[in-house]
Amino acid sequence: MTHSRSELSAEHQEVSALIPWYVNETLDEPARKRVDAHVDACAICRDDLAVQRRICEGIHAQPALDYMPVASLKRLQARLDALQSGSVPVQAPSPAQQNRGAVPWRGWMAASVAAVAVAVGLVIVDRWAQFDARLTQPKYRTVTSAAPRPQGEVIRAVFAPTITLVELQSILDEAQLRIVSGPTEAGVYSLASNSALTVRASLALLRQHPTVRFAEGTLPEPESGKSP
Amino acid sequence: MTLPAKNSPKERDNALLVAIAAGDRRALEELYLSYHRRLARFLSRFTPRYENVEEIINDTFMVVWQNAKNFRSASQVSTWIIGIAYRTALKSFRRQKNHAGTGSLEDYPEQTVDPTLDAEIHDWLKHGLSRLPMEQRLTLELAYHMGHSLEEIAAITECPVGTVKARMFHAREKLRQYLPTLSGGPSEMPARIG
Repeated sequence: MTHSRSELSAEHQEVSALIPWYVNETLDEPARKRVDAHVDACAICRDDLAVQRRICEGIHAQPALDYMPVASLKRLQARLDALQSGSVPVQAPSPAQQNRGAVPWRGWMAASVAAVAVAVGLVIVDRWAQFDARLTQPKYRTVTSAAPRPQGEVIRAVFAPTITLVELQSILDEAQLRIVSGPTEAGVYSLASNSALTVRASLALLRQHPTVRFAEGTLPEPESGKSP
Repeated sequence: MTLPAKNSPKERDNALLVAIAAGDRRALEELYLSYHRRLARFLSRFTPRYENVEEIINDTFMVVWQNAKNFRSASQVSTWIIGIAYRTALKSFRRQKNHAGTGSLEDYPEQTVDPTLDAEIHDWLKHGLSRLPMEQRLTLELAYHMGHSLEEIAAITECPVGTVKARMFHAREKLRQYLPTLSGGPSEMPARIG
């Protein structure tokens, strides 16, 4: 099979455009094989691939700033507290705000801001004490810990891709189910029962929703002649 | 609400977002802490100032808090959050540009250098990246540091795939000009560029 010069040029340009995603290994298999085949025959792309790999390694190796997530989180919590209390949306002063240039009303604002900051600070301290206690709880399980409960999956379901998380939760609440894992890459959720409702009843409730694309039980069917 | 088993980061993120949509502050805190480092690294490409990075991250999570219920489960939580951060940062960057001019990587505070990295390549890459337009620099960061696919970057930046390819193409061309010896090996490097 022969290719015209324009076909070869088009192939070169298309493959060349894929090289960054070949480097970061996010191409699907056909695209990856296409790049492999082209690079074997094209010295320009082979060279470019080597350059892109070095750039990728260089970007990965670039040093990071020393981040302070906990201090930042405290400021976010103060904003959320103000939002939820329905008060003026006070924002705990960040260093960025502190660095901004002087404004004419800064002097008289300082006193009121300080007063609000004290109030917000008390809330933060209280919240932070609670959060810190949670952070210090161990996130590991030892072999001598109580055995984890089985996941209890009884149903697998797939929902419409347009469903929101809130709609999903509403359907699950109605069918008295909860998510134990998922969605998988194929969009499959594993669901466990939240109540004494039978699997068959939960399935029926799920299937009445148009946004439920698929729902099947994962336990063996009851013996014939017996109702669930 | 009972959180599902956390078998993968994607499942964990989905579970946390469901909880956030139900008003669970603890879930927001967990999601925040798990994304902070990634976002901070990404946003440091917009602005060298940590306080600005922090402000953008917090603005991002205010949006997450207020819009979690509208998140569509077919999307990836990570793509959604990074997309919010990207747009928030662009707005912030444009405001600051009007106010005080653009920042440059030269403004970075003192950093700890990885001793295993070739110092010259590191220096050149830093200079080369700082000379790229914002969108091109971030496309490189999203692909090479954060490992996003072409389609994910298109979703994050709300651009057609062709635009992402074009940005990457121009970024590569410019970096080739700045970093000509990357293809020739360290021995051929001149003393300094730029």
